[in-house]
This record gives sequence, structure tokens and C-alpha cells, in this order.
Amino acid sequence: MTLIVSESPDRANAPGRRKRDRRRSSLTAHGEPMVWLTGGSLALCVAMIVGLLGLVLYQGLGTFWPQEIVRLEAADGRVLLGAISSRSSYIPEESLLASLPPEQATLLREAMGDPSDPQPIERLLVRSENYELTGSHYNWIDRPLVVSEERPTWALCLERTEKGRFYGLPVAFLVDGEVVEEGPEATWKRFGEQHPAVRRRYLEYRRLEKRDLGHVNADMEEARLYLRSVALSKGEGSAAWLDAKAKFDAREEINRARAAEIQGRIDELKGANAAFALRMRTGDDREVDIPLERIVRAVPANQLSLAGKLRVYGSRWREFLTDDPREANSEGGVWPAIFGTLLMTLLMTLMVVPLGVIAALYLHEYAKQGFIVSLVRIAVNNLAGVPSIVFGVFGLGFFCYIIGSSIDEFFFSARLPNPTYGKGGILWASLTLALLTLPVVIVATEEALAAVPNSMREGSYACGATKWQTIRRIILPRAQPGIMTGAILAIARGAGEVAPLMLVGAVKLAPDLPLDLGRFPYLFPERSFMHLGFHIYDLGFQSQNSEAAKPMVYTTTLLLIAIVVALNLSAIWIRARLRRRFRAAR
Amino acid sequence: MTEIEKEKVILPHQAARQGAGDQAVTQSGHTSAKIGGLFEAISEGRPFQSVLHPELASQEPVVEVEGFNLWYGSTQALHDITFSVPKGRVTALIGPSGCGKSTLLRSVNRMNDLIDSVSIEGSMSLSGDPIYGRSVDVIELRKRIGMVFQKPNPFPMSIFENVIYSLRIDGVRDRGLLNQVCEESLRGAGLWDEVKDRLKSSALALSGGQQQRLCIARAIAAEPEVLLLDEPCSALDPIATGKVEDLIEDLKGTYSVLMVTHNMQQASRVSDNTAFMYLGRLVEYGPTDQVFLGPRLKETEDYVTGRFG
Ligand SMILES: Nc1ncnc2c1ncn2[C@@H]1O[C@H](COP(=O)(O)OP(=O)(O)OP(=O)(O)O)[C@@H](O)[C@H]1O
Ligand SMILES: [Mg+2]
Repeated sequence: MTLIVSESPDRANAPGRRKRDRRRSSLTAHGEPMVWLTGGSLALCVAMIVGLLGLVLYQGLGTFWPQEIVRLEAADGRVLLGAISSRSSYIPEESLLASLPPEQATLLREAMGDPSDPQPIERLLVRSENYELTGSHYNWIDRPLVVSEERPTWALCLERTEKGRFYGLPVAFLVDGEVVEEGPEATWKRFGEQHPAVRRRYLEYRRLEKRDLGHVNADMEEARLYLRSVALSKGEGSAAWLDAKAKFDAREEINRARAAEIQGRIDELKGANAAFALRMRTGDDREVDIPLERIVRAVPANQLSLAGKLRVYGSRWREFLTDDPREANSEGGVWPAIFGTLLMTLLMTLMVVPLGVIAALYLHEYAKQGFIVSLVRIAVNNLAGVPSIVFGVFGLGFFCYIIGSSIDEFFFSARLPNPTYGKGGILWASLTLALLTLPVVIVATEEALAAVPNSMREGSYACGATKWQTIRRIILPRAQPGIMTGAILAIARGAGEVAPLMLVGAVKLAPDLPLDLGRFPYLFPERSFMHLGFHIYDLGFQSQNSEAAKPMVYTTTLLLIAIVVALNLSAIWIRARLRRRFRAAR
Repeated sequence: MTEIEKEKVILPHQAARQGAGDQAVTQSGHTSAKIGGLFEAISEGRPFQSVLHPELASQEPVVEVEGFNLWYGSTQALHDITFSVPKGRVTALIGPSGCGKSTLLRSVNRMNDLIDSVSIEGSMSLSGDPIYGRSVDVIELRKRIGMVFQKPNPFPMSIFENVIYSLRIDGVRDRGLLNQVCEESLRGAGLWDEVKDRLKSSALALSGGQQQRLCIARAIAAEPEVLLLDEPCSALDPIATGKVEDLIEDLKGTYSVLMVTHNMQQASRVSDNTAFMYLGRLVEYGPTDQVFLGPRLKETEDYVTGRFG
């Protein structure tokens, strides 16, 4: 004991044991700089994400808010009635000033102040529309040139089914060309009474045209194709053909009658609508009669209370979410695109998850680990780095042109040379994206399988279970949350992908949804479809009325993000439910 | 003990002593001098004969092991093991860590097949049927053998489903039979009273001791011919250990049990026979009271009294 006690202070003082000088240690040893570095990086990431989301939210949510209508009279004689959609400022070039009439140039020069230090002048972008009269949707006007500005109480913004919006003041309500009401107030009142019924009739006959007549036409087309296929296989004039021809004639007869009946109803509805019109006066005092059925919505923007504005806002959102697009997609709704996105993502998930899980099962549970398996694994991981457009090219070449054409040849030869499956369609698009997201699912599933404790496998084998029984009863249930993670990642990746879709079936305007509950076989996987991502690209870069399309780009982006978030949340919710079962294990 | 037996027993002992000589003793010093030369002989790989007590020959065997060798890749983990597990009794495997107890146990139900690098030589049989062989159906074989692991490994499903797992994989659908087997097995494992009200809840919510007894219930639900227990109490507290020991006591007679344990008291309390292994070899095997109270080898005595290692 004594020895040990006397020894310890000795040791502490020994030269080798002396505490090292702390001040000489390196910067990283203190840890603090790393906290700042990591924290700063995170803050940067968060700032970028929040910034992007903030921009999309701000711009996207504002699109449908009813804007005030102003009437601007300019020094150059123009009168603009419309909504101010944006403002900017610029310094006019000397040559521009020189080209203007003198009094206007003077106005601008005054606004600019000192020529050696010119102030920028403000200019307004006015959405004045009335395209059929003015030939333009938007007009710039320099603020200093505005000589009068007012907000006419009765100014109306009419959203029409075609030719864009119309800004003007209601003058009279017409029935069969006769003025029945005059003055804005009476006209507006009468409009409110008549418009809903007119609109209902309009939607009714549109539905008849599109759906009922469409079905009749499709049936006739089918009959014709059947006759043609009989002609191709048995020969024209053969007994079978004659039989088919007789049936075809009978069927055509029925369809003709049905078409005529539907057409009659359509004409009737159209006739009832044709009587009504609204006479409007534009900002520059021209009068125009607008058929009532062409008006989707009339907004007396300057009279609206907050509740009224909210109503308009809500109704525009509803239209956006549930209606077909109009005006080259820059107005109306995006329902077909929402539907196409969801259906394509669903089909993709249904294909990629089973395929990826089975592939991962083989890789992890069955294959003998070695060089070849490592090679396959590396190849799968690398697949995730291939540019998505390459998948599009592959999908077009392989699915559409090779597989699709073969299907056409064997099953739809009567329709050739028109391709059925031999072109882009929702099935091929889903398959292409399934291929694109396959690595994600495989990698996630393999990780989930690796996380299943070996003791569980051994326990199952020791009970006399076969490999497959062990996989099905023990490993897969246990790996399910991890597999769900893979599915979530695949959905997030697939729903937001655009580039490959442009090649394999997404179109700017699809006449029919790929799902038609009124016609067998209900799901039409060969049809092309609309997709929100492609819709955004189309609005932003292919639209003629690009100013009007811009806010829609943001709104559609917002919607796409919301859908991806919703898909993810639901998948996460399912995963959380699955996880609850295993919580006790941890 | 007759003179002849004594000689037979002491022979390898003495041979080892002589072979090891003074050199080994001085080299490795104190420990080696204390436990003697037999272990050294084994570690040097010299031929050596397991000591099997003759009393065992009269007991009817359920598992017979004959000249069994096992390699992990190129390292040999089991050397020429020959012994048999008697029917309806508890046989304990003891020995220092890494001596191959688990390996031997896992060889009986061919769990080592799951490891690619394993190769074997020699033979084993279960109630006369070969365990290793080309024509043996491993799945059927494993159904005749129950196994409980060191760490409880309940499956991520309900208690009920855990117990009847082996019936489920056989495709049994008869509800009445399943319920009956579940109750009998849980009673057999002494767990029935604790879980009878929550058979449908997750097995993962049970305590460690309950989980281990559940694993035993799962193993006996298939009515195996032999039950393999690999340190079944090492993850349990003394009370749970006591319960599992009582359970093994109860299983005696109905089941043939081969268990690995590090706990000498446990081995002496619950087992009928004890086998002592060292570095992949079976050193001494005999009735438990003889192995503990009057071992034939000094090395066994050193080990069971804790003077070794
Ligand atoms: N999968 C394996 N691959 C290679 N060697 C192994 C493997 N499993 C065990 N071994 C080796 O085989 C020998 C015996 O191991 P085993 O697990 O049977 O020992 P044990 O007696 O059960 O030990 P413990 O009491 O610690 O459980 C050890 O040397 C071990 O390193
Ligand atoms: Mg072990």
C-alpha cells in the first residue's frame, strides 16, 4: 500500500506524463469552427429551399386574386381599361425620346429630371385584353404619360371561353338581338339571373358533344376496324365478311340514329343559349355584343367586398383544379394534367415497387455474394446517374417503337398505319419512369433487407421454414418500412420528372383522359396524357400569350409541389403505421 | 473404477505431460504449469482420445455423432467429435469461449449450411436417420429439431403467430388445432398465465425473459425429437434464468435437450450429462455428478471448479 501511495505523485511529475501544452493544438481540435461550418451549410440549404418555396407560394397563390380594374388615359391618346399586372422602371434612350412626339418627350424628360443624372421612369404593364379589337393582350404605358386614372365602378372583367378576357362596362342585356335591359345596374342584375342557366346548358351540350358523341364515334370506329380485320384475315367478299358487313351495317344504323338524337339535343341547347348576349363598352367607347354562353365568369372587380373577392378566388381555384384547360392552356383548369400525373405515378409505383423489391430480394437473399453480384450492384447504382432524357430516348426506342409496334402488328393490325401502342402513351411513360426509379427502390430495399437481423432468419430456418417462407413471413414484413421509404423516394423522383415524358407520351393537350368509366375497358394505357411538369414547361416556354401564362406557371408549379408533398405524406403515413408494429423492438 | 479404466483414462494425460516436457512449462510459465499438459497437447494438435464415461453407453441415444470434423474455410473448428445425446435427458455442453460449442450445436440442425465457407467430415444421425447426406431433406430435418438461441429472437408478429409458426409454415389451417397447440406450448414454456390475455399483441413487447420462454414455446410447438439450447439464459436476469431452468427441468423426460452453458451451477443443476469441450475437441463426457464431483481428468476438474482461465 505505502509503495503505491508514494509512487503516484512521482508518476504525475515524471516528464513523460506531463500534461501537454493545450495552446499548440490545431484549430480543428477545438471543434467550434466545424459547428459553424456545418451549421452555416445547413442554414444555406434551408435558405435556398425556403426561398424557392416562398417564391412559388407567393407568386402561385396570388394568381387568382381578383385585381382592380383601372382606366388609364395616356397623352398619346390611348385609353387602357384593365388590370395592372406588373410595374418596372427604365431609363429611356435618347433615340427613343427623339422619336416621340414633342409633348410626350417633354413629359418624359420632366419626369427624368436632371439630364446628367437621369432618374428612371416607371412604366406599367396593363392587362387590357379585348384581343379581337386591339390585337394585343398586354400594353406597356409610361407612368408620366398617364393623364387620367380612374377606377370605374361598373368595370367588368369577363373571362371567356375563347379569345382571352374582356374588360369593359356593361351597357345592355340583349335577348334575341333586342335590348331588354339598359344601364349597368339593371344589366348586371339580369346577367346574374340568366348566366347560371346559360352556363349549365353550355356545359351540358359540351358534355354531350365530347362524351356521348365521342362514345358513339368510338363505337363506330370499333365496328369499322372489326370489319377491316375480318376483311384482312378472311378476304373481302367472303362469307364471314358478308356476315360481318351485315352486322356492321346494323350497328352503323343504330349509331347514326343515336348520333342524330344526341345532335338534336345539342342543337336544342345551343338554340336556347344563342338568344342571350351582353353588350359591353370598352375603355375607348366601342360597343361589343358578347354571347352569354361564351362568358365563364364576370367579375365586377372594383365593387367586390373582401368576401366577394374570396368567392371569386375560390371559384377560380375550383375551376383550376377541376376543369379542362382553355386558351392554349393559359386559362381554365389543369384537371387532365393532375389526373395524368397521378395516374402515371400510380402506374409507375405499381410497376417499380414489385420489380425493384423482387430484384433486391434476389440480390440480397438468393444470389451468392461475389464478384458478379457486386458488379450488378454497381451497375444498378450507376443507372441512377444516367441523365433522365436518356431514359426517355430508350423508352421511345424500346417501348414505343419496338414493343409497341409489335403489339400493334399482332393485335391492332386493322388500325395500321395509325399506331395504337406504337407511339407515346401513359403505359410507356410509366414504364420508362419505372426504369428510371428502379435503382432507388432496389438500393432502399437492399438496405432494408440488410437491416433485418440475422437472428430472425436463423430462428425461422431453425423452425424448418424454407427460404421463401422465411422471406415472405419474416423478412418482408420486417423490411416493409424500408421498402416504403424506397417507394416514397421513387414517387418523389417520378412525379417531378419531365424530360423523358416529352418523348414517351406527355402532350400539351390530350383530347381524352386515359381513364373513361363510360367505355370498356375503362383504362386506356395507350393514350397520351397531360402531365403537370410538362404543362409547366409548355406554359412557360411554348405559350403565345406568355404574360398571361406566367402566373399560371407558378400556380401549376405550386400545385405539382403540393401533389408530390401529398403523395409523400400519404406514403410516410403508411410507413409510420407499419413501423408502429416494430416499435417495441427498439 | 477398475484398474484398466484408470489406466485408459490417465494415459493421454500422462502422454501429454511427457510430450510437453519441461520446455513448455518454462516457456508459458505459471498457467501452463498449473493446468498441466493436456491442453497444451490439444493446442499443439497432437492426437488425443476423448474420455467417455461408460455409464452413458447404456442410455438410448437420440443424436449420435461419429468422428465429426468441421472447418470454417481452412480453420478447423471441430476435431473428431464422437458422442451421443441420450433420449429424454438434458445434456450440457461446457467449455471455454470459442471452443466450438455453438458450432457443434448448430451442426446438429445444419444451421451451418447457411455459412458458405463451412465444410464437414464425419457423420451424425437423429434417431438413426443420417443428418448429413445427399438425400437428406434439410427442411424436414429441421422440423424434427427445435432450437433456441442465445439472444431471444421472437418474430415481428403476434405472440400467437410466433408460437404456431412451425404449424403455419406447414400450412395447418385448423383453428382449433392451432389454438390448442398454442396453449399447450405456452403452458409447456411456463408463459401461458402471463400472456393468455394478449395473444394477439406483438411478441416484441414482451420482456427479455418472456421472449426467451416464447422462443422455447415456439421450439416445442413442433414437438421436436431433440431441443437445442444455445446459452438460453445468458441474456436474462437471475429470476428469468430461474424460470427457464425450472422449465428445462420440466421438459426433462418429454424432450431430449442438448444445451450450451457457461454457468457451471446451471449445468450441474439441470443437466443429467455433461460434455466438456476444449479447442474444438471433446475432452470428457459423462454423467453430470461424476463430471463435477469426480472427473477423470485433472483438466476437467480445473475447469468445473473455476481454477482454469
Ligand atoms: N462464421 C464463422 N466463420 C469463421 N469462423 C467461425 C465462425 N463462427 C465461429 N467461428 C470460429 O469457430 C470457433 C468456435 O466458435 P463457436 O462459436 O462454436 O464457439 P463457442 O464455444 O460457442 O464460444 P462461446 O462460448 O463464446 O459462444 C471459434 O474460434 C470461432 O472464431
Ligand atoms: Mg456460442
